Amino acid sequence: MGVFDLFPRLREKKSAPADDELFSEPFQRKLEYLALVSRRVYSGKLRAERRTKKSGSGVEFADHREYQPGDDFRSLDWNVYQRFERLLVRLYEEEEDLAIYFVLDTSASMAFSDERKLRYGKRVVAALAYVGLANLDRVSIVTTCDRVMQRMPETRGKARIFKVFRFLRALEPGGATDLGEAMKTFVAQNKRRGLVVLVSDLYDPAGFEKGINVLRYNKFDTFVVHVVDPAEARPQLLGDVIVRDCETGDEREVTVTSKALDRFAAAHAQYRATVERFCATHQVPYVQANVEVPFDELILRVLRRGGFVR
Amino acid sequence: MLAGLPLAQLAAIFGAVGLGVLALYLLKLRRRVVAVPFSPLWERILRDKEATTLLSRLKRLLSLLLQLVLLALLVLALGDPRAAETMVRGRTLVVLVDASASMQATDVKPNRISVAQGEVKRMARGLGGADRMLVAQMDAVVTPLGPMTGDTSQLEREIDGIEATDAPADLPRALRFATDVLRGVDGGEIVVVSDGALGDASDSSGPVHLGRARLSYLRVGKEGKNVGITQFSVRRYPLDKGHYEVMLELSNTGPDVEDVELRLLGDGALVDLTRLRLAPGERLPRFYSQLSGASRTLEATIARVDGTRDQLPADDHAYALLPERRRAKILVVSAGNTYLDAALLLDEYLDVTDVAPAAYPAAFEKGGWDAIIFDAVTPAQTPAANALYIDPRGPGSPVRVDRELKAPGFDKVDRKHPAVQWLALDDVNVARGHRLVPGPGDRVVGASDGGASPILVAGARDGHRFVALGFDVRDSDLPLRVAWPLFVLDCIDWFAGEDAKYLSGYRTGEVWRIPAGASAEYATVKMPDGATQRVAVHEGRAVLEGERSGFYQLVPGGRPDEPAVPFAANLLDARESAIAPQDRLVVDGKEAGELPPFHLGVRRDIWVYLLLAAVLLTALEWGSYHRRVTV
Repeated sequence: MGVFDLFPRLREKKSAPADDELFSEPFQRKLEYLALVSRRVYSGKLRAERRTKKSGSGVEFADHREYQPGDDFRSLDWNVYQRFERLLVRLYEEEEDLAIYFVLDTSASMAFSDERKLRYGKRVVAALAYVGLANLDRVSIVTTCDRVMQRMPETRGKARIFKVFRFLRALEPGGATDLGEAMKTFVAQNKRRGLVVLVSDLYDPAGFEKGINVLRYNKFDTFVVHVVDPAEARPQLLGDVIVRDCETGDEREVTVTSKALDRFAAAHAQYRATVERFCATHQVPYVQANVEVPFDELILRVLRRGGFVR
Repeated sequence: MLAGLPLAQLAAIFGAVGLGVLALYLLKLRRRVVAVPFSPLWERILRDKEATTLLSRLKRLLSLLLQLVLLALLVLALGDPRAAETMVRGRTLVVLVDASASMQATDVKPNRISVAQGEVKRMARGLGGADRMLVAQMDAVVTPLGPMTGDTSQLEREIDGIEATDAPADLPRALRFATDVLRGVDGGEIVVVSDGALGDASDSSGPVHLGRARLSYLRVGKEGKNVGITQFSVRRYPLDKGHYEVMLELSNTGPDVEDVELRLLGDGALVDLTRLRLAPGERLPRFYSQLSGASRTLEATIARVDGTRDQLPADDHAYALLPERRRAKILVVSAGNTYLDAALLLDEYLDVTDVAPAAYPAAFEKGGWDAIIFDAVTPAQTPAANALYIDPRGPGSPVRVDRELKAPGFDKVDRKHPAVQWLALDDVNVARGHRLVPGPGDRVVGASDGGASPILVAGARDGHRFVALGFDVRDSDLPLRVAWPLFVLDCIDWFAGEDAKYLSGYRTGEVWRIPAGASAEYATVKMPDGATQRVAVHEGRAVLEGERSGFYQLVPGGRPDEPAVPFAANLLDARESAIAPQDRLVVDGKEAGELPPFHLGVRRDIWVYLLLAAVLLTALEWGSYHRRVTV
């Protein structure tokens, strides 16, 4: 059974001319495929790690253990006592859901170059949200620039994926990046700790570290998806130009030569390496999402890296 | 030295444009604004760049210098600089290439005109940087093939367009053209490239004066073995138009005895074949009388007996056309005139109807008359037909009849008029007659009293020709003379538009005026080679300068449904048949000299090299810009 069988309206949406390529049919097929793949990947590992074995609220029998004073009498297995005259307590698996926050950077820099990065970021968020929803986690999406812009309230269940789609589709890029301030607002608004997936190009004039550190200090399990457009590392520029920052409007006179372009490419690579090194140093899972890499391959890597769904 | 713009002007141009370039460099050009996602990354580049600011300033200065050098090169090229010695030795030449019939001679391979073209091309290639040349084709007319230029490739293209014609060369006209071109030019040169068969350099305006122009002569050809047809005349007998007479002349202009075979072809069929031997320099006239068998075309060809061809095939062929004969319907209005009847019996092609004066109106009503002869009778009104009036009277006469003349005579005769051509009328005795008063446009053909009293008048009324004779022939001894029947038949021929003169056609190299009908404004002429040419019609005649011998077709008005008028054209020029090249050319009492040698070598157009240098610098700058060396 495919996702179109589950959600026939999805197919209708596809045929509508207003649909943009974010939710194209091939993308949705891949999404369904990814959901299946994620189940295989998670079975016996991630899902088990996320559940706690404790008596009480669970419905699925897990094991017995010796009765300890203080245990709830209701959990004593009287059938076993009748047969073996031993007091054993039934243990049930209690499923614990996880709060997953997707923080999507929608600043002007993400919309640069025909919104390539933003579109890719939306796809990543949609895909991971689908995976989260399929595993009955509480999924919430927040967009930021220099502040928290929009918010999709927590939701669960696979059927709510359309809500995610609608939310993502309605997003409009704009504004400057200030992850530090935005994350401060975020942690203040979200008391329940959980997994935060930060999807951004990390072009933060105030420093990308601030935002990540705010999340770390507030006990959020942070996962960084760094959206990178390789074309930005070697812009098609030559001659005397004024470069204007698309977010801040700052202007710089530059004479672009092939050597200058080489130096810029090196600076760009160095910046990416700085981000990666920072994340590695602070045990923040980090993935570089190259917009030229097919996103399903990226999602598979993300899942293999694991951790963020814990 | 500068041959183009003067130095002051060049300096002004350089100053103005140079200031503009400088201003552009001093003014800071507005840079292109480019949006980037994250400008702090660019700041790292700028920090590195600051260290090389001095170097970049130097590069900008170098770039400015480069632009100024480029500008200097271009401005200097405008000045067309030349080496001083080439300025002094610049030559202006008018080359007259003989394209007359004799240049078709094959004594040099492939023929003289090709050799001449090669010689002129060699001259063009040898031109110095300041030399200029104009090439003109010299045949019956002078045709400049292009402007005065030093461009070798253009000159070579012009020279390739030279083609020998069947016409004689008009040296005086060509020399006058050349002197006109060189008027005001110091040290101008005229170069005649020819075999020398050009005749005297004088025409109706007198001898040609070359002025200060220097004349050079470049001889083409080496020998002259040739037999040609130099005269060819055909005519029908005036009194027996079914037969014709041919007169032709062969000339051996070569140094050897030649045995030739002369063929006469009537309508393409052999009429006569004769073998002849011509001594060197001999001119042999031949007459063929009482020939028949050709009703339309007549050709004469000669060929060597041994089957070889002489060195000028152009004069081995001559053409003539015999006018078509058709029966003419003649109405004679007479009370009886034996002399007139006898005269009209002489031409078998005449269909004569005699009527009494009283029966004239009924006979005229039948129509279709080519000519009407009123013998001592005058109709009530001038008929709409060609008419011969003998002793006219009254209001129907085309000319007013004045007082009576006693014993008039033909004191003055217009012998050019077709009605009296070749007639001896001077001693005709007339007892009495009347003075005729010609109308406007009429022509007095014969007059008495020392020319004061016209007695023979010709003209036209309403498009119909007439001849009026002011006396009754029976009152004279004219009917007893040979002139009488000839006069009557000449008048009828003139009415019918027939020409009894020699039918040898037109001569190449002359301006032809071919009858084409008064109504047409232009005519289409089909050439012997099949090509067609549209020509203007002036006063009823198509005007054409012919250069090819052979049979032509003229269609008046250019409409295909109109009957074509055929005519023939021939070279028939003994001077052109004498193809032995001449060693000397004398004009204006001076002998043409040798052509001074040209200074072969590289072109001295320095501006070309300046332009090349500018292009090279631009290419270097382009390359360095793209490699970001000068940015």
